[in-house]
Amino acid sequence: MSQTLDPRAAAHVSEVAVSVELQTPGMTINIGPQHPSTHGVLRLVAELDGERIVNVEPVIGYMHRGYEKLSEVRTYPQITALVNRIDWVSGFANEIPFIVAVERLMEIEVPERAQYIRLILTELARISNHLVFLSSYPLELGASTPLMHALREREHVLELIEGVTGGRFHPNFNRIGGVKPAAGGGSTQKKLAQDLPKGFLAETRAAMERVFAICDDLDTLVMGNEIFHARTKGVAIVPPDLALAYGVSGPNLRGSGVAFDLRKHENYLPYDKFDFDVAVGENGDCFDRYSVRHEEVRQAARIVGQAIDDIPSGPLQAKVPRVIKVPKGETYVRAENPKGEMGYYVVSEGGRIPYRLKIRSASFSNLSILSWALKGLLVPDIIALLGSLDFVLGDVDR
Amino acid sequence: MESAVADFAARVAELAGSESWSADFGNAKVRVDRSRWVEAVEAVRDGAGLAFFSFLSAIDWSNEVAVGDPLEETVEERYEVLVRLSSGKNNDSVTLSTDLPKNDARIQTLSNVYGGANWHEREAAEMFGIEFEGHPNLDRLYLTDEFEGHPLRKTYPLLSREIKPWPGMVDVEDMPSTENPEADSGGVAEQLPSNAEGVAVPSEEGDEA
Amino acid sequence: MTFVAVEINFYLLLVLKILVITGVMLGGLLPVILGELKIGAHMQSRVGPYYAGGRWGWAQPMADGLKFFQKEDLIPAAADRHVYKIAPYLLMVSTLSLFVIIPFSPDLIAVDLDLGIFFALAISSLSTLGVLMAGWSSGNKYSLMGGLRAAAQIIAYELPLVLAVIGVVIQAGTLSMVGIVEAQIDMGVPFLIGGQLVGFVIFFIASLAELNRTPFDLPLAESELVMGYLTEYSGFRFAIFFLAEYAGIVAVSAIASTLFLGGYGFWGLDSTVFGPFVLAAKVGILAFLMIWIRWSWPRMREDQLQTLAWKWLIPISLANIMVTAIFKVVF
Repeated sequence: MSQTLDPRAAAHVSEVAVSVELQTPGMTINIGPQHPSTHGVLRLVAELDGERIVNVEPVIGYMHRGYEKLSEVRTYPQITALVNRIDWVSGFANEIPFIVAVERLMEIEVPERAQYIRLILTELARISNHLVFLSSYPLELGASTPLMHALREREHVLELIEGVTGGRFHPNFNRIGGVKPAAGGGSTQKKLAQDLPKGFLAETRAAMERVFAICDDLDTLVMGNEIFHARTKGVAIVPPDLALAYGVSGPNLRGSGVAFDLRKHENYLPYDKFDFDVAVGENGDCFDRYSVRHEEVRQAARIVGQAIDDIPSGPLQAKVPRVIKVPKGETYVRAENPKGEMGYYVVSEGGRIPYRLKIRSASFSNLSILSWALKGLLVPDIIALLGSLDFVLGDVDR
Repeated sequence: MESAVADFAARVAELAGSESWSADFGNAKVRVDRSRWVEAVEAVRDGAGLAFFSFLSAIDWSNEVAVGDPLEETVEERYEVLVRLSSGKNNDSVTLSTDLPKNDARIQTLSNVYGGANWHEREAAEMFGIEFEGHPNLDRLYLTDEFEGHPLRKTYPLLSREIKPWPGMVDVEDMPSTENPEADSGGVAEQLPSNAEGVAVPSEEGDEA
Repeated sequence: MTFVAVEINFYLLLVLKILVITGVMLGGLLPVILGELKIGAHMQSRVGPYYAGGRWGWAQPMADGLKFFQKEDLIPAAADRHVYKIAPYLLMVSTLSLFVIIPFSPDLIAVDLDLGIFFALAISSLSTLGVLMAGWSSGNKYSLMGGLRAAAQIIAYELPLVLAVIGVVIQAGTLSMVGIVEAQIDMGVPFLIGGQLVGFVIFFIASLAELNRTPFDLPLAESELVMGYLTEYSGFRFAIFFLAEYAGIVAVSAIASTLFLGGYGFWGLDSTVFGPFVLAAKVGILAFLMIWIRWSWPRMREDQLQTLAWKWLIPISLANIMVTAIFKVVF
């Protein structure tokens, strides 16, 4: 019973154990669809080798609501209500390219006051969107405090949007030819319809002061933190030519070093009247995408400050027929949405409803780079990259 | 500005080897032959410097529609595949399009030219039933595996409208000074009253600040 | 217990000590939990617990505890039942044992072992086992990953922890906890100032990692692994893990303040009378520091964590030992 183990036999046994170990297949885990960090219902099927990623395949479509099909049974004004639910964090900005496309097909000129109001609300939507990003991204990396501070400041911005449009997230404020009057607007209150609410200018200035203050706070709290640098610098670098080929746009593209901002090149809103800089990153890693958005908040607050001082008076909406019939034609209008380039390709056959509406959403293209960018990284970097792309599933899936 | 768009459209048409282009409503559009699809896109990308892939999609031109308004004049039934390319440096941007016959809806894939075409083609394939030859993984993108049919085709009905009519017709009352809408029950679009929520009201009330 | 003239039966004394230690542990733990909630809340411009126990929410930890105890006992079908059940208790035992050698005053110590600190470091390593058992037995890939990460982290940071303590031991000349405090009192300054600043920093960082606190809480990273190795635990078992974590904070802070901050001694105060209060104050300061760090910083990635331990903390602590030894011999 108590025979001694032959040492040569023992060595052989241990070799066998080692070679069996090395042939163990990698682990495939499923991240999502219900997961705290995936910005909605996104499912990632990740093949892992220990902590290294071999391949990540995103599975989307959980939030597909069929917007393009729905647009084929709605009149143009009704589509406005539908469309600001695509990217629900920056509600107002979704309507703009669509409305401008329809106005271009109908060859309507929008009064200046309406354009300024649209611009101010778009920039407020940009600030609101970026504040959510700037504070929820550190949360995913483990720091929970910036979220609370930034969301408090965001409340002021949302109150401004609500004061003008009546809605915090889904304003449905654009009308073909301009914007809707701020309060009233039904038939009995036509004469009492007001414009921008009283005190709007002063409140906006105060809110912009607070936005600048929170940007400074986030600068020290998050961007100066060594651990944040270690988690985001050099992580998931997206080279610029690849970003362009995949259609990555907005702050993600600028983070990769491509200094392209549609606000400077397209004329869907009067951005050429205002003075602002375009924030560009250097390397294309997660830190650059974060700092680009951080700078964009400051620039957006700057634009709002300039626009507030200059709003011209005038009508809020051009004269449009009661029943909107858009003449035959096709056009594509794109805008610099907070998440990237959002565009609408409107195909009209001369009726009250479009024949085809193609929605080009920013997050769809931004997300498509995921499999490429994650090869060879570690599991926590999935979270770092997902957060830094700043997408929402409503935008991806439409 | 219009002429700049037209000039650009002409230049792109030349690179793509096509004769038909248009620049209406600020949209530079060049029609390309199906057999030259990939070469044309490559030539445009390299010759005009359009490195940014905006989107790829399709339009279903069909005379009988199950949703929406039918077309006023008959068209040749086809799928029109559109791809939008733009520059990463200025606002040059163009739509290239080609026609596919309905009984032979196949076209070469662009995923070797632009990486971003991969997902867009998957979406177009499942929504319209177009086959992209040479695509690495033409799996379902949005729809579940058990889904049958191609939703964005004009012959695919919007099922919720089949089951019950648009609820807004019941709720909206006439505004005092407007005409009654025609209560025609043919087609879905006619059910929508003209003074539905969101329709622009004439701007008599546009006040000064 | 030397100031009691009566001979007490050994076993009665044993039971008494166990009860007192458990009481001390709970008594130290509840304020720390409340502090974490309230201080964290105020750092985030929130209010924190507000209803349980009036405006200060002092009854919140007790209310949470009661809530956990009355929950349903769930064991996942794929779990390894026996290992699953034992894991929390193992963790709790290893933490509780740390309280045995903490000196509250020169006379108030459960057992004044000659190997005081050595015993503490040895028994706290049992927590690795508890964590691994929890991660493995839950039958869940996420938990397994969390458990493996935690085990790797704890093992990596054991070394700096031990090496940092050696500097103290060299300076004090003894492993006994009371002896270390007396050495500091004799020296006139706590070891923090008296030469072990580097050792203190290393010990503090390493203990944050041992306790799985931010910035080292990757095993529990909610945003990635949905609670890591604790995902499948609920109710009473979760409460045990929870208590073990905070008891660990108290215990480790107490050990750190004994080793580096002078323990129960304070200039000009009589140790036998004021000792426990002085120690409590020092534990409070260190616990506050841990809470402050947790609410301010993001978490480190696994490989960065390991790099920090192996490439930085261990060489620095070895250098610390060398320098301490040289000073001790030469001066």
